[in-house]
Amino acid sequence: MSETAKVVPIRRVRRAEPASERLREQVRTLEDQLRRLEGEERATGREGLLVALARLFQEGLRSVNWDTVAGAWAAFYFTWHSEEVDDFGFDRKFTETLRPLFEFLYTVWWRVEATGLEHVPSEGAALIVANHSGVLPYDGLMINVAVRHEHPARRDCRMLALDMFALLPFLAPLLAKSGAVRASQENGERLLRRGELVGVFPEGVKGVGKRFKHRYKLARFGRGGFVRLALRTGAPIIPCAVVGAEEIHPVLAKADWIGRPLGFPYFPITPTFPLLGPLGVVPLPTKWSLDFGDPVPMDAHGPDAAEDPILVNRLAEQVRGTVQRMIDGRLARRRSIWFG
Amino acid sequence: MTGAGSFLGGRLLRRLAESKGEDRLLVLDVAAPPPALGVHHRELDLTEPAADETLLRMLREEEVDTLAHFAFVTNPRRDSTFAHELESIGTLSVLAAAAAAGVRRVVMRSFTAVYGARGQNPNFLTEDRPLHPNASLGWVHDKLEAEQHAASFSRRYPEMAIAVLRFAPLFGPQVRTFYTRVFDKRVVPMLMGFDPLLQLLHPDDALDAAERALDRDARGAFNVVPKAPIPLGAALHLAAKVPLPVPHPVAYAVCEALWAAGITEAPAGFLDYVRYPWVADGARAEKQLGFRARHSSRDALLAYLRYRHPEAKSAGVTEVTA
Repeated sequence: MSETAKVVPIRRVRRAEPASERLREQVRTLEDQLRRLEGEERATGREGLLVALARLFQEGLRSVNWDTVAGAWAAFYFTWHSEEVDDFGFDRKFTETLRPLFEFLYTVWWRVEATGLEHVPSEGAALIVANHSGVLPYDGLMINVAVRHEHPARRDCRMLALDMFALLPFLAPLLAKSGAVRASQENGERLLRRGELVGVFPEGVKGVGKRFKHRYKLARFGRGGFVRLALRTGAPIIPCAVVGAEEIHPVLAKADWIGRPLGFPYFPITPTFPLLGPLGVVPLPTKWSLDFGDPVPMDAHGPDAAEDPILVNRLAEQVRGTVQRMIDGRLARRRSIWFG
Repeated sequence: MTGAGSFLGGRLLRRLAESKGEDRLLVLDVAAPPPALGVHHRELDLTEPAADETLLRMLREEEVDTLAHFAFVTNPRRDSTFAHELESIGTLSVLAAAAAAGVRRVVMRSFTAVYGARGQNPNFLTEDRPLHPNASLGWVHDKLEAEQHAASFSRRYPEMAIAVLRFAPLFGPQVRTFYTRVFDKRVVPMLMGFDPLLQLLHPDDALDAAERALDRDARGAFNVVPKAPIPLGAALHLAAKVPLPVPHPVAYAVCEALWAAGITEAPAGFLDYVRYPWVADGARAEKQLGFRARHSSRDALLAYLRYRHPEAKSAGVTEVTA
């Protein structure tokens, strides 16, 4: 490959301004700079993926050597990484990159209808408590998108993710970069004390992997950890009912003996998975609704109330009853799984 | 001061010689400090069985009132007995001698790695978090034992103020350790599908925290951490590395085999630290020592890259805060 082949646009400049010696000198310095920059880029493998592909087209197979392959691979790998994250690993640039996909799921695939968003405060800590379902944590994603896009304050909802998701290869960094945090009292408390909006699914594994015949019957709300969190930080609880997510992967049976060795707490068998292979991972396009209910204030009890297990359990049951009522109300109005 | 021959210990010694005056310093080490420093030196080998009695005699003769205990190894050694004798038993001797000689303050070096990298860790580890490092990793086990000795001595001798500084991994000019050498190669193997947050501490911040701890009666453990963590992937990107993702079951087996064969510098237990979170929270050091890191992990990494590869002036490496 010749060195001059890469500086085509500048040559054109030179042809347009034939006379001036001064200009020619300038062009020469610019060329030098460009060459040096390119050399540096190549030396450090720091060129973008598109540049690497363009070079392949331009120079053909001659350009394929260890350097270009390694450079292209690194560029491809790091396309998804940005250097700025918050101290929980939330990567805004990465989330913005995936935003079109999230929006597609939200508006086209599931046609999510969100109501009661005015109950979500525009600032300050609050805890969104929702029912969990759908095998993979799509419901958290959709709550996130709803608050981000339809709430006037365009807040980010930090979802508290189950251990099984937060420790899984690939899913773990994906969740962390999109703003989710592993569910634990310490993490939740830290986020709420910073005044963030936090979302939690107290049903946990029992909810997300529930069978089709148990759909929309809320499982036990953990051990009331979310109530303790709210009591300790004084954050209000906003109940949220997700309807539609429970049908996206109808779990007919569970083959836990396959899942356990792979690190999953369950292995779902749905009409499409594992029968259709990778296609079975595509969730069904049901019609979703997200209903946010009246906030349940928690600051009246004081932070010491978190140590009272009877009160904690009573409040947890109260919130669970509210969410269940909201789900039942929505189900009674719903005429079709697919069209709402 | 012990461990003045280590990287951090040596730097701290230089700094103290400047701020406090070299005649107020005493180095207890196998190797003598650079004579140009003019610091008083007495030879002490902490791995010897009777080290505590020798040390006690020296402490009494020199009327030591503050002891900086920095004799720890950062690079994993195949000779695990040496590390155990130096770190665990050595710390026991140091603390026993210090207590008997009536030393007022002990500042001990430790590592945030003692918390252990675990999936169950919260995103920020506070000092009261129980220490649960990977059981099979001898490197961290010796440091854990040293911490346990420190905890039991501060219970038994309340008049002696023991401060344990848990430093995040050091990254910066002149730092040469097994984990910084990873950044010297072009291709970096990593675990497929994991990208934990790392804390890389600039040595200047580490020294700052150590000086502050030596100047007051600090008690208990303190995390000394940089301003902000950095994801491993972003760190590799910044250093313009070529990543080689390896599925983790394979990686553990290969890494252990290579360590056993004497090819790699670290055993497989360290892979936990590039898999799970182990970010420590520096709020306690800020409140009680008044220490606030000036550099972020990114700054520390860039400082290291500039020192190691001054020729690679790529996009990221130029924008550095001094």
